[in-house]
Amino acid sequence: MLENEKISVHQFRVLVTFFTIGTSILVYPSILARYAKQDAWLVVIISIGIGLAVIWMFSKITQFFPNMNLAQINEKVFGKWLGKFFTFFYVLVAFIASAELLYNSGTFFRLNLMPETPVEVLHIMTALLLVMAVRIGLETFSRAAELFWVIFILLFLMLLFVIPEIKFQNIQPVLENGVKPLLFPTLILVSVSTFNAIYLLMIFPASVSNPQGAQRAFYIGLIIGGMITFITTILAILVLGADLTARTRFPSYLLAQKINVGEFVKRIEVIVATMWFIAVYFKLILYFYACCLGLGQMLNLKSYRPVVLPMGMILTVFASMMFPNVVQQQKWDTEGMLMLSNIAGGFLPLLIVIVGYFRRRKA
Amino acid sequence: MKLIVVLAAALIIIAIDVPYLKRNKLKKEPWVFTILLLIGVGLSIAYTFNLPLPNPLRGINTILQPLSHYIYELLT
Repeated sequence: MLENEKISVHQFRVLVTFFTIGTSILVYPSILARYAKQDAWLVVIISIGIGLAVIWMFSKITQFFPNMNLAQINEKVFGKWLGKFFTFFYVLVAFIASAELLYNSGTFFRLNLMPETPVEVLHIMTALLLVMAVRIGLETFSRAAELFWVIFILLFLMLLFVIPEIKFQNIQPVLENGVKPLLFPTLILVSVSTFNAIYLLMIFPASVSNPQGAQRAFYIGLIIGGMITFITTILAILVLGADLTARTRFPSYLLAQKINVGEFVKRIEVIVATMWFIAVYFKLILYFYACCLGLGQMLNLKSYRPVVLPMGMILTVFASMMFPNVVQQQKWDTEGMLMLSNIAGGFLPLLIVIVGYFRRRKA
Repeated sequence: MKLIVVLAAALIIIAIDVPYLKRNKLKKEPWVFTILLLIGVGLSIAYTFNLPLPNPLRGINTILQPLSHYIYELLT
């Protein structure tokens, strides 16, 4: 595979941040509050800590196998056929994850902004943007990410107007039921924001201009993304309360509806929608890029580009049919997808690190 | 009507990608492209006519259920 594209360290940091933020600012405060009640903000802090350890494991992989991407590492570590099988597994998980993100964005727009548009149309519109970005290539969408990062931060600052509505009774009592209820939501958040970051290894050692600096950017990006998730979650809990956060599907959208500065600045929730769409769009691009690149490498193609458009077509259909209802999606989020990301981002990388360690000792 | 949209989408994809494939005289890529496009068109047509499509997520969920229940019981 001849992909000679290189991105800078700063661009890589922005991509990591967007990947960490992704869905976790709009959808996940609700899921966390469902399990951890008013302690959901503690979950975010714990999962940043665990996330740093996971990133340490990923950077060990990149030290063992410099100048290779995930598909090549798989083939080197597990041999040709087993390696291809694992790459196929990664491609499949990336495909399902990107279909779910597409479904999420479609559902969000349908429920809140465009109730009369068929959801398939929304999927097709987003998928068009997606295949365009992935076809143009890594360098271009990284530069776009750099640009959108500034806009994202500006929009995020608008959310802080909600601070006057804070009620500190909402997070009391802290740790009412002990630490045990925090464990399962921590696993959910770690798996969605850090375990899945294994897909960044598709671009990390091979396509970043300065691998040493990129390793630091990986940690910093995770911390920035974690902070943004933390601020959104704690604001949702402080303003809306744990119960309402757990019951709403999109808590930070409801949060923005609460903004009211002197009866003048209000109803700015569309800003949150824009912000969230930017973050989800880049996460979607990274998943789908990893999916197409992995598929191309698995089949030994010269370029991944011919795969992109047909895969986009399959993706759109799959996103429209994957969940017949919301209950199915919640079940899938906390069962199937959780296990798939644990295997893809936790178990297999651990195996790669162990094999890499023994190989280095032998050599 | 929906069928026309699906076929038009397929034609646009062919119009975009085939010149690239022809110009570079690749061997394997046209096959992969054709197979994936056929799958895509087939799925789209089945979806527009509301044919029952198998949902692979159900199967994956069933396979992973013992593991996920075990972890859920362990952590809550």
